[in-house]
Amino acid sequence: MSQQVNTFEVKFLPSGKRVAVPEDSLLLEAANEAGISLDTPCGGQGRCGRCRVKVDSGKVSQQESHRLTKQQIAEGWVLACSTRVVDDVVILEPTKKEREQVVVETADTLTETPLTCGFTFAPSLQRIHLDVPPPSLEDAANDVDRVKRALASQHGIEHARLELPVIQKLAAALRQKNWEVTVTIFDDKSGGPAEVINIYPGKKKGPVLGLAVDIGTTNVVIDLVDLATGRILDRASERNKQIIRGEDVISRIYYSEKGKGLLELQNLVIETINLLINDLAKKHKFSPDEVEDMVVAGNTIMLHFFLGLRAKSLREEPYVPTLIDFPLLKAGQLGVKINRNAYMYCIPAVAAYVGGDIVAGVLSSCLYQSEKLTLFLDIGTNGEIVLGNADWLVSCACSAGPAFEGAGVQDGMRATEGAIEQVRINSNTLEPEVSIIGSGKPLGVCGSGMIAALSEMFLTGVVNKSGKFNVDFVQGIMKKNSRVRLGDHRYEYVLVTAKESGTGKDIVLTEVDIDNLIRVKGSIYSGMAVLARTVGVDLNDVEEVLIGGAFGKHVSAEQAIIIGLLPDLPWNKFRYLGNTSASGSYSALISRAARDTSREIGRKITYLELIADTSYMNELTGAIFLPHTDIARFPSVKQILEKTGRQ
Amino acid sequence: MAPVELPVEKWTGKIKEVKLGGNGRKSMVIGGETTLPFLKFEGVLPNKPVIAVEVQDAPPKDWPQALVSAYGDALKDPGEWAKKALSFGAEIIYLRLKSAHPEEGNTGAAEAKKAVAKVLEAVDVPVIVIGPEVPEKDNEVLVAASEVGKGQRLALGNCVEKNHRTIAATCIADGHVAIAKTPIEINLAKQLNILLCDVGLAADSIIMDPTTGSLGYGLEYTYSVMERLRIAGLMGDGMPSMPMLCDVGEESWRQKESRVTTGVPETWGDPAERAINWEIITAISLLNSGANIITLRHPKTIEFLKNSIAQLTQAG
Repeated sequence: MSQQVNTFEVKFLPSGKRVAVPEDSLLLEAANEAGISLDTPCGGQGRCGRCRVKVDSGKVSQQESHRLTKQQIAEGWVLACSTRVVDDVVILEPTKKEREQVVVETADTLTETPLTCGFTFAPSLQRIHLDVPPPSLEDAANDVDRVKRALASQHGIEHARLELPVIQKLAAALRQKNWEVTVTIFDDKSGGPAEVINIYPGKKKGPVLGLAVDIGTTNVVIDLVDLATGRILDRASERNKQIIRGEDVISRIYYSEKGKGLLELQNLVIETINLLINDLAKKHKFSPDEVEDMVVAGNTIMLHFFLGLRAKSLREEPYVPTLIDFPLLKAGQLGVKINRNAYMYCIPAVAAYVGGDIVAGVLSSCLYQSEKLTLFLDIGTNGEIVLGNADWLVSCACSAGPAFEGAGVQDGMRATEGAIEQVRINSNTLEPEVSIIGSGKPLGVCGSGMIAALSEMFLTGVVNKSGKFNVDFVQGIMKKNSRVRLGDHRYEYVLVTAKESGTGKDIVLTEVDIDNLIRVKGSIYSGMAVLARTVGVDLNDVEEVLIGGAFGKHVSAEQAIIIGLLPDLPWNKFRYLGNTSASGSYSALISRAARDTSREIGRKITYLELIADTSYMNELTGAIFLPHTDIARFPSVKQILEKTGRQ
Repeated sequence: MAPVELPVEKWTGKIKEVKLGGNGRKSMVIGGETTLPFLKFEGVLPNKPVIAVEVQDAPPKDWPQALVSAYGDALKDPGEWAKKALSFGAEIIYLRLKSAHPEEGNTGAAEAKKAVAKVLEAVDVPVIVIGPEVPEKDNEVLVAASEVGKGQRLALGNCVEKNHRTIAATCIADGHVAIAKTPIEINLAKQLNILLCDVGLAADSIIMDPTTGSLGYGLEYTYSVMERLRIAGLMGDGMPSMPMLCDVGEESWRQKESRVTTGVPETWGDPAERAINWEIITAISLLNSGANIITLRHPKTIEFLKNSIAQLTQAG
């Protein structure tokens, strides 16, 4: 005897379509029957949250979903793929705007959030207007003394110093506008007297300019800053020209050891900086000579090359740099094309592989002020990790390799226009859906896209826990149109076919790429784990994770957890900060206090050498697995795997 | 004086019990312990460690005289060889299909079937079948062996990451146990177990071979990795809690100390005695780090180990 099954009516608004469905049908099935198409890129597993609809009236049986906030649930939002009909219901179809909103919604996406750590705006540089009393037979003091006297009497600046480049300009400048001049004073309050670094006849108009420079291994970024207001006028960035001599720091160190290699590398980075200054000057119509202050942040090796220092000892045990606290330099000493008398402050480093870029990151992220146990990650060619709070800071570096920056991966690219930054794979069809940066056609995959692709391939069973393709499984589902095929480098998954790509070629992720990604993520995770254990804290007790570096902006904390790159913490504990090295450099440019703080941070961070830690290798091999050999460390991933029946 | 109370470790985990043999063949269970080897005062050790004796599918070309003379003509036939091994005290036959190796004859499925059938016919103890340790070739001969021994719960190896799907599939289909071999590292051992379970092989159908280093050739390292695997299992982690097998015979007898007869200092002593001692020390050490199955070659070692195991299991 067949059981009586209740039937309920589901009405959709505003279309007014109605269908009658048996009890316990999914809302998604009802919608399909009514001819209403809801997006289900994850294949209706409740993973992506794209099939969101709102219940207007009537009861439904809803499964818990991490895709909906408490507020959304209270408002009546449900996921059609995991909600069952138990009553007559009226459903509001999502508007086009609401649908799009889900796509860009930041619930699981780390968005760039600027931070301020309460520094008062107080640049080291100020421009002062001076009416210097003209000389007479009664008062025939020399020009330099007259300027010093005027500074002391009119502005209280005692014993100002002047160096030759300014002294050479002095006689003409003073007399050109009848003893009326504008001087630029540099005083970083570090103890020495203030210095007149530039002089202009008459009243100088236009902004006081400074540069915040981030020398990255791959990219050099310059922020042009108006030092009268603190406003960033523009940002320019360019590949570090040193790249032609090696993609990573180690190969560049090798290059620097040969012949005039070091000099060439120094020239290449200075050329890159000068080129960017030149571009900014043309665009904003100023003379490079008017730029009078500069702060530089970069890793220890980049700074060694910038200063022309021998770097060999940085790649050999015990990894000793020439120095980590850099002296204040004058632009003219290195040939940086700003005012040659301008000062350049380099943010101090911690050790050979934790540089000023990381100190700048700790500075700009306010980590050194935080009461919370905070993890700071800068993931570039190297992965640097800082753990701590206002009381203590420890750091380590892992040689991650440039995969997340797009290098060493067959179709990898940086997070620029055309890069695939998000991937969803339908768990029923195994077909992918990709989103890219910008509006063109896909050209390659950037770091966040790789994380997304790997996470989705893993969850849908395209690859197994060691990152190898489940070839038979995929072919069983996709038949002849299998996205997994044997390529030049073992098996590969086709993310975008040649027809749809902007390169005219298939965009793939190969098994070799995946091996590489798993090694990189394993290296970063195990660095974090060892660092945490060294100071006796549990990684899962971390209260905030701050991320800087080369990911695309839309790196998903959820997906990074699924592959075991980031510790299994609630998504709201992660914040993506963008280029923290550049922002730390900016802070030091506009605030003397920030400069002092950067020195303090540099001294405060304790460096842990992973190579010297006997437990690191064991941690590393444990982390080279999806998500980790010890699944207990990733309880949320374990839960997802159990749900999808892949455990 | 008050009696001293011995500290007792309480473990929460248990080593999995794996059954071998059955369906007309003698069966046995290995594993099941709730504490470290031989610590009877601390937990339960329901199944004693067992000795597997190695048999090959063709007469060995590289065996030293001490071994050849012990087995004599039996080496010419795997069935006879297995019987001889049994008479020496083998509790399991460890059949190595060496001639399937591309450089040792490159024999295929048909020859493998013949050799396995001969051994199964000759003895009634559980049988382990090991391929030539070339993953593609292993797939070919082990699938053949699997079919011949269907239902008799053999153990098939080596199952490595590269061929784990095929070996797991044939074990599932024919009701066998997989010998999961990994390069001497605790995480890798655990990872292979996870992968095997993920493709549907039951956790009680896996025996780990964590790779053996003999005396002077990484014995301490093997000991440490096995000990850590065992402790992790006893602490409640299910994935490294499988019983372990150590291939002592092969590893011990291929070392220089077990082979050279001339040109070494006099203090090295009698070659045959030295080789046997080498095998004994390696075996005894690994027994103490948690081995559930030890493979051996020389009858004197077998006899010595049987006595040792009996004494160790009775003591405490």
